[in-house]
Amino acid sequence: MSITTAPLVVDRPDQDETVEPDIPWIVLVWNDPINLMSYVTMVFQKLFGYSLEKATILMMDVHEKGRAVVSNGTREKAELDVFRLHEHGLWATMQRDDA
Amino acid sequence: MARLTKPPVQRTRRGFRINLDIEERDLIHRLLGELRTLLTESAAPESRVGEPDDRLRRLFPSAYNQPADRELDIEFRRLMRNELITSRLAGLDLISDSLAPTDPAAPELTETQMVAFLQALNGVRLVLGTMLDVSEEHDIDDVGADDPLVGEYHLYDFLSWVLDSSVRAVQS
Repeated sequence: MSITTAPLVVDRPDQDETVEPDIPWIVLVWNDPINLMSYVTMVFQKLFGYSLEKATILMMDVHEKGRAVVSNGTREKAELDVFRLHEHGLWATMQRDDA
Repeated sequence: MARLTKPPVQRTRRGFRINLDIEERDLIHRLLGELRTLLTESAAPESRVGEPDDRLRRLFPSAYNQPADRELDIEFRRLMRNELITSRLAGLDLISDSLAPTDPAAPELTETQMVAFLQALNGVRLVLGTMLDVSEEHDIDDVGADDPLVGEYHLYDFLSWVLDSSVRAVQS
């Protein structure tokens, strides 16, 4: 089970519409053999303002489960988060939160 | 008698001190120069999925990895790849002079420079680690002295050591 960053409260009255522009997006960070655990934890704290405890939990999720959801929001926000994670060399992707 | 070894990076009152000797700083300075060359020479790719230069694969990952989002990924790469290059080159500009091994005194970096230092060190590690195809269980003791890449493996471990120390200094 992956840790989401915040409880997501989304009103979706109509589940039939497949291409909803305001469907929230999630940003995932994937495990990789190069990035140091200490460095990944620091990046989560710095970029998202997470506490050391929360950043460490997310980092361990990435390490042990292969990936973790680190943020969510509109497509624009998710793209910005992905870009900032890429700037720091983390392997981040984004997808619709409908899986 | 043993000398107490200082950590390679330490927080000071005004910023961070890099306790590396001139040879080690020269090494890092040259590696950052090589990263700059790689970034400068990597021309913007045409619209396509994936990174054309395999050595830079980890510096420019895909943003969208779902098959349905293929077009979005091409567009993201088209718009953002050069942004990433610009951002990385700006980071290298911030620290290159400070790390130049011309002054025997240990260089001091500001908080802003330290962030650039962390990103640049990690950038070099991403390129080197990709070329070496390191695994999560990478252990320098498993690399034989006759391995043709033993020098690169030691370099990779040296950079990991400096990066980890930098992170500790930032977190302290």
